[in-house]
Amino acid sequence: MADDASSSSGITGNTVENSINQDELIMKQQREIEKEISETIPLVGEIEELQTLEKEYNEDPIYLLKVKDLSSKYKSIRRTRPDGNCFFRAFSYAYLERLLTDKQEYDKFYEIAKNSKDILVALGFSQFTVEDFYETFMEVIQRVGEHAGSTPDLIETVRMELHDKFNKQGYSDYIVVYLRLITSGQLQTDQEFYQNFIEGPRTVTEFCRQEVEPMYKESDHIHIIALSNALKVCVRVKYMDRGEGSQVIAHDFPEGSTPLVHLLYRPGHYDILYA
Amino acid sequence: MMAGSALRRLMAEYKQLTVNPPEGIIAGPINEDNFFEWEAFITGPEGTCFEGGIFPAKLVFPPDYPLSPPKMQFLCEMFHPNIYADGRVCISILHAPGDDPMGYETSAERWSPVQSVEKILLSVVSMLAEPNDESGANVDAAKMWREDREQFNKIAEEIVRKTLDLPPP
Repeated sequence: MADDASSSSGITGNTVENSINQDELIMKQQREIEKEISETIPLVGEIEELQTLEKEYNEDPIYLLKVKDLSSKYKSIRRTRPDGNCFFRAFSYAYLERLLTDKQEYDKFYEIAKNSKDILVALGFSQFTVEDFYETFMEVIQRVGEHAGSTPDLIETVRMELHDKFNKQGYSDYIVVYLRLITSGQLQTDQEFYQNFIEGPRTVTEFCRQEVEPMYKESDHIHIIALSNALKVCVRVKYMDRGEGSQVIAHDFPEGSTPLVHLLYRPGHYDILYA
Repeated sequence: MMAGSALRRLMAEYKQLTVNPPEGIIAGPINEDNFFEWEAFITGPEGTCFEGGIFPAKLVFPPDYPLSPPKMQFLCEMFHPNIYADGRVCISILHAPGDDPMGYETSAERWSPVQSVEKILLSVVSMLAEPNDESGANVDAAKMWREDREQFNKIAEEIVRKTLDLPPP
């Protein structure tokens, strides 16, 4: 201690810099710990009974009431890794799983997906940066299409493959990247509308560069609205937080259509819900 | 699969940079057997204290590129607020979100998979022209840039001459 005091006395500037370095070091350690914890959770988990949520909130009366409300409408949950990509990962998993049993919806989606790259390139994304993500995305979609609406056996085979791919970082993260690009493309295509949702002096393009395109950036309403509009898919998000009442409030994006994807939101995180 | 995707992407970027090179920048793999290590030569931007210099740098790409950014390090002597003493470059585009050293504005551009080697090198050129003295990669350089520009310019000139193998002025 005495050494510390004498060595730092008189060089105030260095002390300030040292303490900044200390803070930075602590923050870095904290991030590493968070990353380690997060990596013990699968990118997309197995399906679980909704009751597992009750155990999580054993001593939390507010959340317990809400889990009860939730279980009147949903039977099970599938958890995703809380790495900031969870909305995109949960959404794409749940939607592709749904498409396996809905050939008509698949055909509609396939056309949208197929044309999505041209939209991005027209917006100024360079071909070589978009290409690989697009190809991986289409490869996964086409495999779903091969047996969409087919026999239960074949559907189950493809469903297991899908689960496997979503837990391989190479496929899974490439799908997330591509959905982020589609979201960015939608925001930029319809800038005038989305500008109203952006706080502060940022332009839509700046917002996309900072909050949408980089991996691990968490999703907000604006991301969900843009993606659901781009893909023409309705998403229902159940918001479970410490707010008053025993009901879990639902938001549909966009409002007024039939949701094909159901997600559970708890502050900072999205999981998949099943009726 | 990850390294395969990275390789494909790096080859595409190399081709792009060869066919359509940005002004004042040359970059490519040191050895075409290993696409994960590149060298780059950056010309000091006109009208700045680094004008005329040709600065060699090395870029090292991770196996999951472009999900994660490369690392970049100058191979010549440098004196700049955003370059560490060992030549490592500290600018926001080389960092993914959640991997933020202090001192970046939150509005600064981060790494994303649609960034590219070209975008990084162009950002480094802007960085040479306009240092961010909030980021303390080289605290002495940041302080001198703020308080004694004349001395800073003098050091920069010496560095420029060294990159050209010229004797000190």
